[in-house]
Amino acid sequence: MIVIIDYGLGNLGSIKNMLRKIGYNSEISSETKIVDQASKIILPGVGSFDTGMSKLNDLGLVPLLNKKVNDEKTPVLGICLGAQLMCQSSEEGELNGLGWFDAKVLAFKGRFDSGKELPVPNMGWLDVAVKKENVLIGNLPLNPRFYFVHSYFMASNQTEDILLSSNYSFDYTSALHKENIYGVQFHPEKSHKYGFQLLKNFAEI
Amino acid sequence: MRHRIIPILLLKNNGLYKGIHFKDHKYVGDPINAVKIFNDKEVDELVFLDINASCEQKEPNYNILRDIASECFMPLAYGGGVSSLEMIKEILRVGIEKVVLNTHAVRNPLFVQEAVKYFGSSTIVVSIDVKKSFWGNNYNVYINSGKEKTNLQAVEWAIELEKMGVGEIIVNSIDKDGTLSGYDINLIRRIVDVVKIPVIAAGGGSSLTDFVKICKHHKASASAAGAYFVFQGKHNAVLITYPTQVEIEKEFDSFVELIN
Amino acid sequence: MYIEPDFIDPLVVNHPLTHKLHKQPYQICTRTVMDTSDPLIEFDENGICNYVQKYENWDNHIRIKGKDSDLYLEQITEKLRKEGRGKDYDCIMGLSGGVDSSYMCYFVTKVLGLRALVVHVDTGWNSELAVNNIQNIVQKLNLDLHTLVIDWEEMRDLQLAYFKSGIANLDVPQDHSFIASLYQEASKFNIKYIMNGGNMATESILPPSWGYDASDSTNLLSIHKAYGSRKLNTFPIVSLYKYLIFYPFVKKMKVIRPLEYIEYNKNIVKQFLINELGWRDYGGKHYESKFTKFFQAHYLPTKFGYDKRKAHLSSLIVSGQLLREEAIKELKKPLYDLSELEEDRIYFAKKLNISLDEYYSIMFKPPVEYSDFANQVATKNMLKKVFQTFNKFRKL
Repeated sequence: MIVIIDYGLGNLGSIKNMLRKIGYNSEISSETKIVDQASKIILPGVGSFDTGMSKLNDLGLVPLLNKKVNDEKTPVLGICLGAQLMCQSSEEGELNGLGWFDAKVLAFKGRFDSGKELPVPNMGWLDVAVKKENVLIGNLPLNPRFYFVHSYFMASNQTEDILLSSNYSFDYTSALHKENIYGVQFHPEKSHKYGFQLLKNFAEI
Repeated sequence: MRHRIIPILLLKNNGLYKGIHFKDHKYVGDPINAVKIFNDKEVDELVFLDINASCEQKEPNYNILRDIASECFMPLAYGGGVSSLEMIKEILRVGIEKVVLNTHAVRNPLFVQEAVKYFGSSTIVVSIDVKKSFWGNNYNVYINSGKEKTNLQAVEWAIELEKMGVGEIIVNSIDKDGTLSGYDINLIRRIVDVVKIPVIAAGGGSSLTDFVKICKHHKASASAAGAYFVFQGKHNAVLITYPTQVEIEKEFDSFVELIN
Repeated sequence: MYIEPDFIDPLVVNHPLTHKLHKQPYQICTRTVMDTSDPLIEFDENGICNYVQKYENWDNHIRIKGKDSDLYLEQITEKLRKEGRGKDYDCIMGLSGGVDSSYMCYFVTKVLGLRALVVHVDTGWNSELAVNNIQNIVQKLNLDLHTLVIDWEEMRDLQLAYFKSGIANLDVPQDHSFIASLYQEASKFNIKYIMNGGNMATESILPPSWGYDASDSTNLLSIHKAYGSRKLNTFPIVSLYKYLIFYPFVKKMKVIRPLEYIEYNKNIVKQFLINELGWRDYGGKHYESKFTKFFQAHYLPTKFGYDKRKAHLSSLIVSGQLLREEAIKELKKPLYDLSELEEDRIYFAKKLNISLDEYYSIMFKPPVEYSDFANQVATKNMLKKVFQTFNKFRKL
């Protein structure tokens, strides 16, 4: 059973809906009993880094998630804030992240070259460039694009973890991958046919 | 980067409508089927605005919003009489990504700040309905579906909204609404020049060229339209259309930068 | 005469509920693929059904062919043009985005050269394909499109009433609104000639028991009275008086079927539409409406054991456009892809605003005859007799 972690943030219904449409059942939950039984985990999220980490901590989910992901190697997909929480820390907040990726989360503001500033948050469709092959991104329709909405982006210290990159005035990481752990900055559940394929690939791992 | 092209659909008593200058609304049909068609056409994003809600101070029809959201696999924004954090929470819970504030943002700016704090910038969009003053010097902000004039100027209000942390601004020209005569470029430029957050141009958008130009040349982040996507031909026959990805790519690629 | 069937439709033979609705024992026509799921079917000594005879009778004795049909088209075009002088349009026609209406738009405006008011009636179930086809046809042929959007709340109420009633022809609400709307618009614009895309080449066969007449407003209103819950204030309805007397005799409106006078081959027409007008195919007949697709590919077969494909394919067989073996091959294909059925069922229930539980309980209620509700059959028969007697007297 695919479990979508409900920690109070994010559009969980859309993810469940899209999974259902491609033929996969899923459960939205924050209960340790259910998360423990998950064959795959999706960590969604919209909002600020500290709010996200606090909520995960308050729900007592962090130790369980560490066990499932690091020990049991359960495939996990982080979406948007969910992906950022998988990093070590964020310029947006004070708290430590889950630290599954050797990466930091940085702000767009102040990083644009002079004369090349773009509006923040980055809201819209961007193309993705494939940095390494992986089952998650297999069979994507031609010229894949996804919907992004974020003011902060992931920056990895390990080049081999970079799965996809996109360009918003400059090139930045739009997806990370390491073993069973995936983090995508964009929203597959809002990227119609491209999202369908990506979620299908994840569900079939 | 491809700028978004966004249909704005108007809801009234659970039906879709489209008007001119915010009046004489024509019935367009069932919103659920319309969303399904737009979804199949791979539209970039959709905005639904309830045009009665502000006046009637009703709660949104969450059931129909849930049905609409369940047919949508791209971003969806909803607005219309949104006046409390509880309402925003419910709207997000039924599967909608963003909430559009308008009248209540003006009536109670503190509400905007609270909403941004609680739900995050990227969830809160504010829509500004604008009418040119009689002598054409000022752009005045109107609320309550364009019925009530405020003493706010569009430019000043946009700057305030950015300060409050709003994620996006929709700038809608009442003068151009439904006329399919092109955007009020002057208005859009004035706003784009003073804020660094995304600005969505609305009101009068009449062609793919309009959509591309207002973004690439006049620096709006996205273009929006209503009449263009629901009316066809000289008799304004109701028919849902949206350019194909190929047509959009071609128009963006072939755009030649004009000298200012 | 009974002949051992070479193809047995499991839908008909094994269905526990519909056994009583069909003719027994199971038999399939040796020329077409019509079978005993039509209770009124009859077979001759060679196992050939009565529809074949009906078609051949038309083809040999009634049909206008060759030079005569060209002449007819010329004459009718001239007549319409003449009467259209001083008016905005020579004729009116409906466009649904389907093959026939799409081709008709081209044929009437470009081949016959007439000025047509093109009307699309939006009942709230358009697929994206339908809408796209309409857009392409209208733009490429530079036509004046008018759309009539039926009030969705009223349409839903009526369709739900029909679903709850359990009768066969669920599509009456859509079809009746098409008929009534077209007449209303013709009346409004003072147009006398209604172009209809119906044709014997591809639609000659349709058993009356598989779906009652959509023009019967008495039946519609009586079903609505029994199961509807809101008033039909704006829903277009055409009364018996208007349909049989007012429009044809007072307004002098006439329905013309231009496709009847040309060699109308479905495959050739489809290819032409695809190549020249950006048209896209969507599989089954009338599947441009999501409601009609569900109705024909699921409701009708499941509840009544009626598979309308048999009628469509048989029509193509008798007009020489399809071989029987090919038709049987088509019939062996499932009506619905299972995952698509699931999705469409959810959408159907969502649109009608009922839960899936409610959907299932209505779906598995026993089937009902349209005649269980008030209808115009008796009146129409009586009027027919009066008309025939009147004509007899006129000839004397």
